[in-house]
Amino acid sequence: MDAQAIRRTSIPRIRGIREQTYWQAVLAKLIRDKLTLAAMFGLAVIVTLSVAAAWISDQVLGFDPTSTNLINRNAPPTWAATAWPIFQEFTQTCQEGGVSTCRWSLWGRILSASWAGLRECLAAPRGTCHWMGTDQAGRDVLSRGLYGGRISLRIGLYVASISMTLGVVLGLISGYYAATFIDDIINAVIQTLGSIPLLFLLIILSRIFQPGPEGLSFLIGIFGWMGVSRLIRGQIFSIREREYILASRAIGASIWRIMFRHILPNVSSIVIVVGVFNVAGAIIAEAGLSYLGVGIGPPLPSWGNMMQGSLGNFTDAPWLVLAPGLFIFLTTLSIYLIGDGLRDALDPWVK
Amino acid sequence: MRQGLARYIIRRGLQSLFLVWIATLIGFTIYQLAPGGPLQFLDDDPKRTAADFNRLSALYGLDRPILVQYLVWLTGEDWLVLLPGGTAWQSGQCRNNAERCGRGILRFDFGRSFYFKGSNVIDLIVERIPATFILGFSSLVISVAVGIPSGIYAALNRGRLPDHIIRVTTVLVNTVPEWWIGLLLLIILGGYLRIVPLGGMETIGDGSLPDRLHHLALPAVVSAISGWISISRIMRFEMLEVLNQDYVRTARAKGLPEHLVILRHVLRNAILPFVTGLSGIFLLFLSGSILFELVFSWPGMGRLAVIAINSRDYPVMMGLFVISSFLGIMGVLMVDILYSFVDPRVKYEL
Repeated sequence: MDAQAIRRTSIPRIRGIREQTYWQAVLAKLIRDKLTLAAMFGLAVIVTLSVAAAWISDQVLGFDPTSTNLINRNAPPTWAATAWPIFQEFTQTCQEGGVSTCRWSLWGRILSASWAGLRECLAAPRGTCHWMGTDQAGRDVLSRGLYGGRISLRIGLYVASISMTLGVVLGLISGYYAATFIDDIINAVIQTLGSIPLLFLLIILSRIFQPGPEGLSFLIGIFGWMGVSRLIRGQIFSIREREYILASRAIGASIWRIMFRHILPNVSSIVIVVGVFNVAGAIIAEAGLSYLGVGIGPPLPSWGNMMQGSLGNFTDAPWLVLAPGLFIFLTTLSIYLIGDGLRDALDPWVK
Repeated sequence: MRQGLARYIIRRGLQSLFLVWIATLIGFTIYQLAPGGPLQFLDDDPKRTAADFNRLSALYGLDRPILVQYLVWLTGEDWLVLLPGGTAWQSGQCRNNAERCGRGILRFDFGRSFYFKGSNVIDLIVERIPATFILGFSSLVISVAVGIPSGIYAALNRGRLPDHIIRVTTVLVNTVPEWWIGLLLLIILGGYLRIVPLGGMETIGDGSLPDRLHHLALPAVVSAISGWISISRIMRFEMLEVLNQDYVRTARAKGLPEHLVILRHVLRNAILPFVTGLSGIFLLFLSGSILFELVFSWPGMGRLAVIAINSRDYPVMMGLFVISSFLGIMGVLMVDILYSFVDPRVKYEL
């Protein structure tokens, strides 16, 4: 009897119970999780907007993200053009004697002016309304934000794939060869990298090499695998003593086959979840580096370097800080929620 | 037992020394990695001649073989004259300003800065260490003072509203860069409401304690956020672990009041693993402080790092890297030793 035949005959089907493979169960659980679905939808919208950034900037907004306009620098969002001076007047009343002297009555005028401005902006022809204001060179912040999403999301994906690959492979190796020479070396590297100021080293290296998005992802990625590797190593500790590993070793399976066909699938859920969180972490790291001026350099827009322009005048032009931060927040929040949902869904039989 | 402890401490000490050595290697590599050499920034000046370049690279000892450069950087050049047999790299006297020999980083001489011309790197760094420590220490205090109670509270109210609120806050705070939160608060509280100053460590000409605290408040609270979150998470997790133990059930069964169960039996055991969590926080002193010090114009090591990086001041970068690695490694070592004293169950093996 061949293997197929054995499988057909030896497992009797039980009536009334729907058989589910692992991935079917995961999918079924995921579909019931409304919050995760909403987050996935949100991320899909953000990705679509970034991918379509060129078309949206050109056809919908009517602004080029790199064309400067020096007579229109640091302009507030067009819909807030009348509301912004009133808001500044309000903040001035607050500065006279702390919060107690604030003239809260001004907010009525601020809100009505913004409302009128919003309706005007919606009706305005293409290329006249800056929805999120302009930056220090008079460029449209919203279209730069859309283009910035391309860079940030790309870096997030690259970094996650680099650090996950490194982390999984090294974690598998050090877990499988635990307490041997190879494991010791990997542990020593992890301990070394864990005890030096990595962010500082990262900043120095990106200052020296001035990398593009790919190079920057590489730099962030090679310093971000240690946590993953530790995690995988710990998991493999328990798995490698199981009977099925012993069995496949007994029938002469190669080490690589055991690692990638028998051990890896058992840690795949952890790998997926950690990888998703890694994307969010990389986006935040890129923002920090670019804000310092060592990550993605202008004229290429990224969410971090958009804020760099606000360094001297953030109280006069808060939209330069708010808008990119909002992009980062919405993106990482949806990634986070997806990761959280996946963590539950990938354990489908746990109630 | 005590002997085991001593052996453990010696072993960890040697290991840390090795790590410090690796850090000096990495720090020195930075110098060599710069494309066109560390003096490449001179190219920005159109009036620079090849003679200037050669003179400066001789002054900084960059014309020597790499290994010799590393040795000189590590141990100084004053003893090189003692070596017999004149070779090409042996100058016979200190090149770097005849009256003052380079003494090497082992004797706390990190050379001279490119940007702050003529200043000793070590002076520049030592000047700024107090500011970084004040900020780092106060944010550590705040994150412990907030993190431990909030973690305990979340664990005791597991699955109820307070737990959810704390969890949602942690997720929200995790999804934006912490320095961005600082920037936002600075705009609102500092720019619009003028409750806190817009940056710096003190009003110039007024170094009084209330003024300093006033300047410290916002930076300390904002940089405490990430520590608070991780401490509260560890605390919640450990509390839940301990609450399921048999001895807690026993304590309850014998009729001990709930607050005594928590104080005597749960908290004392849950707080131990938290000590190990502290070690990572030492590393944040420099790494994490760079962005916060930039946002709050805080005159510490992080600010110096930003200046050094933007002006390609390699000696300062290397000095900062080595010193902060040293501080980080020593911090981890101290916590490990502290932990082995606190927890008698720790194994003295590695």
